[in-house]
Amino acid sequence: MSDAFCSDCKRQTEVVFDHSAGDTVCSECGLVLESHSIDETSEWRTFANESGDNDPVRVGGPTNPLLTDGGLSTVIAKPSGGSSEFLSLGLVATIKDRANEIYKRVEDQKSSRGRNQDALLAACLYIACRQEDKPRTVKEICSVANGATKKEIGRAKEYIVKQLGLEQGQSVEMGTIHAGDFMRRFCSNLGMTNQAVKAAQEAVQKSEEFDIRRSPISIAAAVIYIITQLSDDKKPLKDISVATGVAEGTIRNSYKDLYPHVSKIIPSWYAKEDDLKNLCSP
Amino acid sequence: MAEQALEGSQPVDLTKHPSGIVPTLQNIVSTVNLDCKLELKSIALQARNAEYNPKRFAAVIMRIREPKTTALIFASGKMVCTGAKSEQQSKLAARKYARIIQKLGFPAKFKDFKIQNIVGSCDVKFPIRLEGLAYSHGAFSSYEPELFPGLIYRMKQPKIVLLIFVSGKIVLTGAKVRDETYTAFENIYPVLTEFRKNQQ
Repeated sequence: MSDAFCSDCKRQTEVVFDHSAGDTVCSECGLVLESHSIDETSEWRTFANESGDNDPVRVGGPTNPLLTDGGLSTVIAKPSGGSSEFLSLGLVATIKDRANEIYKRVEDQKSSRGRNQDALLAACLYIACRQEDKPRTVKEICSVANGATKKEIGRAKEYIVKQLGLEQGQSVEMGTIHAGDFMRRFCSNLGMTNQAVKAAQEAVQKSEEFDIRRSPISIAAAVIYIITQLSDDKKPLKDISVATGVAEGTIRNSYKDLYPHVSKIIPSWYAKEDDLKNLCSP
Repeated sequence: MAEQALEGSQPVDLTKHPSGIVPTLQNIVSTVNLDCKLELKSIALQARNAEYNPKRFAAVIMRIREPKTTALIFASGKMVCTGAKSEQQSKLAARKYARIIQKLGFPAKFKDFKIQNIVGSCDVKFPIRLEGLAYSHGAFSSYEPELFPGLIYRMKQPKIVLLIFVSGKIVLTGAKVRDETYTAFENIYPVLTEFRKNQQ
């Protein structure tokens, strides 16, 4: 019950709201003052002690521009599309979105038919990480790539870069990986102190000035080995191998290559000349 | 061998090779059509230097010692000759294989001989900053140190693929005539000197 102006009665009269019809009716003469009102109140009542397993909400998710019709149609038995890969590597949403976008663009060209789907998905992920400036090693991508090999992913990556280049008319720019790109994550996996992490980052920056013919990831592993040997919390080679994905023999050989330059590479605030002499000779 | 020694000691023609470096040819791949159907099993049984495993590969693999080459001989009469170090040696080797096939009783001819690929290599003798090169020549370069230690450079004119290593060693592949290899190297040499890695 509320009051409203009735045009027939020509005065303020009490009105009744008919919920089922959406009408507002004058209680004295029966004139419909308003019709087809939209009820904006909550459709359901919720109680704190009720279980939330049967949510009666009627709306779906937002439109997805990566799907052909914006995701507005109903799909039966939709595949996961590689979501598990993102969960395993702990990647952020921007990388996930970028990878999905890359995959859609390659898929839209209808030229990926007959290619190794696992390697293609893994390569999209690899490229997305590179483009978002958070590169992952190919070995890390391999570990979540459903059996696709390093070579297959490399080949798929070359194929994608070529296809996207043809689409855009210019080359896809990803830059080149550096040892420093992986340093923070590798050190974090090993539980190194912030001071040691900072020293390791500085060391790999300096190491690029020398002619060390090793993969950047091998150099990163060797630098971590040196930094930890100089610290109180020494790490065995096995732990560094697990954290970086570089074989123990490779780390040893990379250490041998770095050893002649160690006094120039390791920051002086971290280790004095006398400390460097304590490093075992390779 | 003596030929190679002489070639090494000769003064370089600077009008043709301004860099002073001549790429060495490492491998020639050529094809020829013997123009007759071949019975591969009988060839494999009669020839001493032949191996034939039809389950693995549908051609007879035959080798000769001089020039040291390997031939793939198909039932259709087509033959591929690999491993020679110069165009003349490739043709000579192909003729020798054709002669062997003739002696086994097949009416082999020697039609449509063609050099398909020439691989060359050389050393500029200074280290190269591959990352800088990859960055400034991004459209032609592919440098993925995780997958392959060298930089893959796809030159457009001439259409040659170069593998450039930190050590300064260069591999040039994809040429059909020798001059393409030489031209490609002269094109890339100024770029290599630009990205020379200066030792500290």
